[in-house]
Amino acid sequence: MSLPTLLNFNLRYYRRHRLLSLLCMMGICLGVGIVIAVELINESALDSFSRSVDLLSGRATHSVVSGYGRVDDRFFPDIWRNPQVKAASPIVEVMALTRETGEEPIRFVGIDPFLDAEFRNFSPPAGDDAALDRFLGSDPPGLYLSRELMDRYRLKTDDTLTILAAGLEKKAVILGPLPDSSAAGVGDNLAVMDIAAAQELFGRVGYLERIDIMAHGNAEALEKELPEGLFLTDANTKKSTLRAMLSSFQLNLAAMSLLAIFVGVFLIYNFSMFSVLSRREDLSLLLTLGADRKGLVTAFLLESLVLGSVGNVLGIAFGWLVAWLSVGKVSGTITELYFFVEMGSVHLTPAVVLTGLAVGFAATMVGTGLPALEVAVTPPVLGIKRRSIEDRAHGLKGLLLASGLVFFAAALVGAWASRFSIFWGFFSAFAMTFAFALFTPGFLSPFSHYFGVLLKKGFRSLGGFLAARTIRASLSRTSIAVAALAVALSMTIGVDIMIHSFRESVSAWLEGSLEGDLYISPGTTKWFHPLPDSLIDALKRDPRIEAMERYSTYDVSLDGKPVRLRVVDSTVLETHSRFHFLEGERAAWPALRAEKVFISESLAYRFGLKVGESVTLTTPAGARPFTVASIVRDYSSDQGTLHMDRGVYERIWHDARVQSVALFLRPGVSPDEIRHEIAAAYPGLGKTIVSNKKMKLEILRIFDKTFAPTATLKGVSLLVALLGVATALTAILLERSREMRVLGYLGLTAGELGRMNIYQGLIMGLASFLLSVICGLILAYIVIYAINYRSFGWTVDVHINAWVFGKTFLLTGLACLASSMYSSFRLFRDRNGPALREEE
Amino acid sequence: MTPLLRLENLSKCYARGTSREVRPLNGINLAVARGERIVLLGKSGSGKSTVLNLVGGVDTPTSGRVLFDGMDLATMASDELARYRRKEVGFIFQSFNLFPTLTVGENLTLPLELLGVDDDARALRYLNAVGLEGQWDKFPEQLSGGEQQRVAIARALVKEPRLILADEPTGNLDLETGNSILALIDKVCRTAGATLIMATHSAEALWLADRTFRLRAGTLTEVPVAATIQPQEPVA
Repeated sequence: MSLPTLLNFNLRYYRRHRLLSLLCMMGICLGVGIVIAVELINESALDSFSRSVDLLSGRATHSVVSGYGRVDDRFFPDIWRNPQVKAASPIVEVMALTRETGEEPIRFVGIDPFLDAEFRNFSPPAGDDAALDRFLGSDPPGLYLSRELMDRYRLKTDDTLTILAAGLEKKAVILGPLPDSSAAGVGDNLAVMDIAAAQELFGRVGYLERIDIMAHGNAEALEKELPEGLFLTDANTKKSTLRAMLSSFQLNLAAMSLLAIFVGVFLIYNFSMFSVLSRREDLSLLLTLGADRKGLVTAFLLESLVLGSVGNVLGIAFGWLVAWLSVGKVSGTITELYFFVEMGSVHLTPAVVLTGLAVGFAATMVGTGLPALEVAVTPPVLGIKRRSIEDRAHGLKGLLLASGLVFFAAALVGAWASRFSIFWGFFSAFAMTFAFALFTPGFLSPFSHYFGVLLKKGFRSLGGFLAARTIRASLSRTSIAVAALAVALSMTIGVDIMIHSFRESVSAWLEGSLEGDLYISPGTTKWFHPLPDSLIDALKRDPRIEAMERYSTYDVSLDGKPVRLRVVDSTVLETHSRFHFLEGERAAWPALRAEKVFISESLAYRFGLKVGESVTLTTPAGARPFTVASIVRDYSSDQGTLHMDRGVYERIWHDARVQSVALFLRPGVSPDEIRHEIAAAYPGLGKTIVSNKKMKLEILRIFDKTFAPTATLKGVSLLVALLGVATALTAILLERSREMRVLGYLGLTAGELGRMNIYQGLIMGLASFLLSVICGLILAYIVIYAINYRSFGWTVDVHINAWVFGKTFLLTGLACLASSMYSSFRLFRDRNGPALREEE
Repeated sequence: MTPLLRLENLSKCYARGTSREVRPLNGINLAVARGERIVLLGKSGSGKSTVLNLVGGVDTPTSGRVLFDGMDLATMASDELARYRRKEVGFIFQSFNLFPTLTVGENLTLPLELLGVDDDARALRYLNAVGLEGQWDKFPEQLSGGEQQRVAIARALVKEPRLILADEPTGNLDLETGNSILALIDKVCRTAGATLIMATHSAEALWLADRTFRLRAGTLTEVPVAATIQPQEPVA
């Protein structure tokens, strides 16, 4: 019998079971889709910042940057005149908001139009003196905006832009769209202005972000001649540094996306097994008629591939759609947490498509492997009963339980080994969920038996009893669906406990570190916008203010990696905050004033630092070691944060600028009164003066936003698992339709039959939930200690929240109810009565 | 005396495929007295099972009426029909149709539980009555075909219905076992005073009938008693 004949014969089966085929395809589609979506979003973010780096680098071969957060512009002439330098352009680059564009950050780039023309086409058109005059000398200053930004906010040439800069409202005039047409699609949020105007506007007089250069060739010679604290970098180094910053974030997203396909494998397996079992008679008949076993297995695998292909293609389209819908949110999260990335476009590249196809086909092959084996070993004897399959399923319980224990042990070993590689942390999580999946038949069989007895004896629920018995009798099918749901729920519980614990820990950290009554923080802590000196002086003199804590955060380099340097008023914090010291000196605050530093635990973890060891920072006077006085809890950045006393910083860095202040008011002073006074004196600051409560809420809002993609991924995994339950219930209905009809002969109404089916869904949901409570708790510890800590380096206190379980319980109940609806509806609507035909 | 069951001008018609219309019953009439035993003869596809399904309220006639104790089944809602089957009708099938997931005891108590009766003792009594003492905790698959049919008979009778509908009850059994099953049905129906309608294509069951009817081409014809005792009579 030829393969096409067999394949054609088999494919007819799908036409007969359209719904089951559709559910299975949806499972593959969702699983593949979410993997594709995460891949596309990650690619889009990388591509977006990569192209931004290229665009902003222009034709520069290198950039001179500082290891201590700023380049003094007095160094520029020497660098420009250096014989190794062919051309040089000083650059100021600042992120800021404007009134006209709301919450959308804009990248302001300050250039010298005469020097920059060799690097980029941002300067006014050559020969247009009028344009050049306006660019250099207009008051308010002029700037070019990217055309996309102008179109998006309906801004026109000569419109005024109100920039929220350095805590104040500053005006600028739009000179027109950016001259460089190649900026289209990359520099969507770009504004270009004269460098002197940018320095003035953003409180950077005397400072540059970097100096772009075109080197003649010997860049190493040039680097040796650079002033202390400055070094050379290039676009590729910058890209790889930024890419490294995102790696943990992206790895966690990718791992969560794999969960969806992991759950999807159960669904594919369940459907494939059903398709094999319900065709045993057909297969046996084909063998009897002379079909060879190899041909049957090949035909079965081919039909699975056909199903997988359809699911894959749909999944790729679905993934693209999800990516397109969520790329903006993820870009926003990356901007909040790491660095500014524009919302990139989503492009399906061959690599992404191949990844999706590989994952989808691998899942299909894993899911269909065992069923294919079933085809291979099916003896050509007609009339093999389903009962024997179930007997085998019951007989395998012990073996599966033992295998589960092996995976359980492997998961524990993996958790321990996570200290060597984050891979083992993920391995541990997946091995643990797989262990519980293997435990499922061994748990479900006695559970449904005793639960059925309880329903019958305790609640006189015959429908519940019959439902429980049906679950037990269809163990080969129900245990797969329960296992898939338990896996998804476990991940939900584990991740929710982790998020809740994390949030509680962050909240406790905020309580200890944010104790001021008012905070003035223009821009975010990542965008350096110094407050006006006059404001700082006025606040110092105000008798209503008991204390003022000034802080600034700088991006600096430690061993070539970006970290944050936070400059703090140690004398104020000593009396007005409750820092959580994890390790360190007893007299921590005096140590800070004695030129030592505190480091966050994420920094300690990343660099393997201990109290008493030293970190070498680049200062304007060259490299200088600082002893670690304490390790403190700090969740502000996974890159790591160093805390330094302001006095020490100003002495060494010669920089007295203040980025933010926390005001501690005397008793009886109204925060609102102070706030209104400052807002009246400094228009634009009103928006950035916030109360203690609002500050904490804002930080927690960013925290919640960070986990929004996780919630989406969890949701999709849950949806795939519920499709598994719906598939199992529909399959049971098809397999047991005769028994259902006999129940009708015995007097069960259609409604009672429908309810019995719903009970089945609910009991399966309950079994999944009970398994997931235990597995989820263990996973929470694995995620917190073996994944989160290894990814970001911060410890989290575990907080068990009853609501996580309550919410999951309710969600499971509702979801199982929903997934049993279709099959129940079929029973409800069976208006022809339960008439049986003997040939059924 | 009012008959327990009356079929009035009962017809059933349904489509087979897209064009062909099948009419297994074409205006049949029958009155069955309480405690009477009726055997319906007919070859496969003649409509015997259709009659039982219509009488049992699991199927609806195209025209005509089924009156049970004066109640017209056509006027009953599906839930009322389910309650009618639950209380008044016991079914015995050719392929037993026991629930493989339930023990023998659970199969027997199921109809009682549907009626809200918690009476294991009664179920045990019926199990003993069909000669299966000590089989309470076994699963159907652990019994022979004949034993399974005995359980099915006990399940049909345990709720003490007024009407037993048996559809080819010996069809899956060998001759000897089939005869013992027929004797059992005869005995338990007599003991319970139940009315019996049995559909069969075999002449083996005719001895227990009070009246025998032949179903052919959609019409029902009573077979004289003398004719029914001809052992070799072709039934078609």
